[in-house]
Amino acid sequence: MASRRAVVIVAWAWPALSLIALLAAIVAAAALWGGSITDRVVTDALVKIVIVVGLYIFIGNSGVMSFGSIAFMAIGAYAAAWQTCCPRLKPINMSGLPDFLRLNTVDLLPAALSSVTFATVLAAIIGFPIMRLSGLAASIATFAVLAVVNVIYGNWDRVTLGTNSVVGIPRYVDMWIALGCAALAIVAAYLYQRSPSGRRLRAASQDEVAAKAAGIDVPRERLIAWTLSAAFVGLGGVLYAHNIGVITINNFYLDMTFITLAMLVIGGLRSLSGAVLGVVVLATAQELLRQVELGFTVGGIAIKSPPGVQEVVIGVAMVAILVLRPAGLTGGREFRWPLGPRDGEKGRVRSRLH
Amino acid sequence: MTLILQNLIDAIALGSLYALTALGVGLLFGVMRLINFAHANFITIGAYSLIVPSTNAIATLAIGSWHWAAMTTAVVAIVMVLAVATELIVFRPLRRADPATLLVGSFALAYALQYVILLVYDGRPKAVDIGSSLTEPFLIGALRIPRLEVLTIAVTVALIVALALFLKRTRYGIQIRAAAEDFRMARLLGVSADRVIAIAFALSGLLAAAVSLLFLSRTGMVAPRMGLPLVLIAFVATVIGGMGSLVGAAVGGFTVGFVSVVLQVILPLELRQFRDGFVYLLVIAVLLWRPAGLIQVRAIKERV
Amino acid sequence: MLTVDDLEVRYGRLAAVRSVSLTVARGEIVCIVGPNGAGKSTTLLTIAGELAPYRGDIAVDGDRLTGLASEAVARRGVSLVPEGRRIFGTLTVEENLRLATFQRRDRAAAARDLADLRLRFPILAERYGSPAGRLSGGEQQILAVARAMATRPRLMLVDEPSLGLAPQNVDLVYALLRELRAGGMTLLIVEQNLDRVLEVADRIYVLRDGRVQLTGFVAELRGSDALEQAYFGFTRKRGNGA
Repeated sequence: MASRRAVVIVAWAWPALSLIALLAAIVAAAALWGGSITDRVVTDALVKIVIVVGLYIFIGNSGVMSFGSIAFMAIGAYAAAWQTCCPRLKPINMSGLPDFLRLNTVDLLPAALSSVTFATVLAAIIGFPIMRLSGLAASIATFAVLAVVNVIYGNWDRVTLGTNSVVGIPRYVDMWIALGCAALAIVAAYLYQRSPSGRRLRAASQDEVAAKAAGIDVPRERLIAWTLSAAFVGLGGVLYAHNIGVITINNFYLDMTFITLAMLVIGGLRSLSGAVLGVVVLATAQELLRQVELGFTVGGIAIKSPPGVQEVVIGVAMVAILVLRPAGLTGGREFRWPLGPRDGEKGRVRSRLH
Repeated sequence: MTLILQNLIDAIALGSLYALTALGVGLLFGVMRLINFAHANFITIGAYSLIVPSTNAIATLAIGSWHWAAMTTAVVAIVMVLAVATELIVFRPLRRADPATLLVGSFALAYALQYVILLVYDGRPKAVDIGSSLTEPFLIGALRIPRLEVLTIAVTVALIVALALFLKRTRYGIQIRAAAEDFRMARLLGVSADRVIAIAFALSGLLAAAVSLLFLSRTGMVAPRMGLPLVLIAFVATVIGGMGSLVGAAVGGFTVGFVSVVLQVILPLELRQFRDGFVYLLVIAVLLWRPAGLIQVRAIKERV
Repeated sequence: MLTVDDLEVRYGRLAAVRSVSLTVARGEIVCIVGPNGAGKSTTLLTIAGELAPYRGDIAVDGDRLTGLASEAVARRGVSLVPEGRRIFGTLTVEENLRLATFQRRDRAAAARDLADLRLRFPILAERYGSPAGRLSGGEQQILAVARAMATRPRLMLVDEPSLGLAPQNVDLVYALLRELRAGGMTLLIVEQNLDRVLEVADRIYVLRDGRVQLTGFVAELRGSDALEQAYFGFTRKRGNGA
């Protein structure tokens, strides 16, 4: 009886569990057989997963293409930096910071939590007016958010060092911490999309008019997704900062927006599995292409490509996916529980205990 | 007084550049609901086509060393061909997609093109001198007006008039306007979608080439992302001016350029560097007030 | 001259038209009638090339039209006056008409046709230079028909001409359609208003649930039970003095 229950629960949570299991397997393999390079690549990819899953929470469920979510990555990253970096130089360089930040250093975990909270709260405030918009207007508005954050952070020298890098951020994020956060993001995203609020939002994304007629408060549902999304994108920013140790505002602008969107689109906009798969595929491709850029020899022939090939290939791949398979590699579907009866709804298995 | 007039002319010249860029973007948006991020690359590639591919900090002029008429013709041709090529290769396959997919597609194209430039030319900004004679000013009384600004304004006016005449008087112009209003109906009357879209892209390329040359003369430098600030403002302008209205795009572009210069002058010193931020906040404000833009495209109003 | 053979048209998985076959002879007015959702407009739009059929064949005078895009169908002499008229409000009346002639190869004849249309429709001639968006509903419908005429089609498709129009305007439009037929035009009209149909059509097809329920000459079907049965799915009981 108990094991039957367990099966039912696993079957229900399969889309999320399978993804986490996959990532755990990758991390285990890297830990056992990989070197420092694989560690770096895997950690980077896991941080990206947190971000892209965060993007998916909003974009995948609402159908609104947000170009501005990376703003919250910046906000999270800088908030973490303000709290934890360079205790000796900070009072001088970042003279614009309020004293409680400037003169203190916060422990790592509270700093991370407070940074994520900061990004989340800002997202709720910013999102409140914007979520009324739909379609193209919404996309442009979100882009404007990114641009505003970029301008503010890029020019407020006394607080952010402007366009200069903030160095000396404690680096503590390793594969395991990143894995834990990625798992957290996946679980949250899955619970959200199965929740009534998530379902209402998806319904609205298919047909906004019908949803409104059915009494769904579309801006409210969007705001919930937007805020939850920003929480994880912000977390991604914190992880990014504590992984690389150096941040610059232009790390969080168009290039980052593009690569994270590319991962989501190529994997499949509308599914959680798509978000994760997109990161895995693209991160692998990026690393392979990076090796080609660095150069290697095959049978005595040196192969080396000029810098920029990586990005061109990814751009072309993105266009190809949009033309050939707009729903992405996963086609908007989740990983299915391979056993047991299937009902009409994707990814859901009817419980035998009814 | 002279200072105000000079600032005014500078504002008008900058506004003109933005208006031209906005027209290039707005044209494609009106006809196919496409926001072409790659327009920035059209402008950038137009400028880079003048120099020899190298990693030097001071670029060697290739086309850039020709007589101005030949140079202009060559750049216009190159950018127009590029524009039509992107239509054929990237946007035609995506033709039936929804605006969000088109948006992402043009984003991807822009990303790829930007790095192609990097591949060929390397990423450092290079000095390019093609319009140095144009920095000499006209002297009118106490006013010193750089020739380039006059040229910019003159070219903008000429192109806008030419575009207006084209759209109003020629067969293809009428077809483009009909397509912009109701493409499916236009096709039901036998209008060729392929041809209309190709012409729209070609025109867009023409406008980009003009901006490319004028902007390069103004800044004296090429960089892989040089088109970006112009095009970002153009999107802003298209939004503020009213998505789908060419007049709105031009007016919006002009206004943003104008307001940018004005803000630069009147903002207190500490806030000046945040000028662009104010512009984007304005975008959000306009979108919230009027999601379809300031100039609603009404069937009653006649368009350019 | 028009043959439609076993047409099936789907929206996603939903079949709006399951199996429709019909013919229209030269110079006829044929009407497609039926309740909402029967697939009438879908059929017409598919013939015009707006929609692609899942299965079936469409030909005009032997030219295969199946699967051609709308602009190609238009160039082969099939003109659609769509539901809701869809005139170009920001273009002038003149531009609306001229637009229709651009795809014609016979420039001189096209110019003559435009001049003829101007004479024939004084209402349009009056507003020739105004934006078409300023015309009234009835005037716009006339413009829509005139615009289709300007393409000099061999077959004109009209989708719900009476929709959204005041009765006197509907009279005008139908008078125009009759005139057209008198001049030799072939017309296929989708219409919900059965009375109008019985006035003007030579033959009708009754569609329901994506299939043809009944077809025949109006002269024979007028007032018959078969027509009511096909249209509504039932007949009213006929009692004494009904």
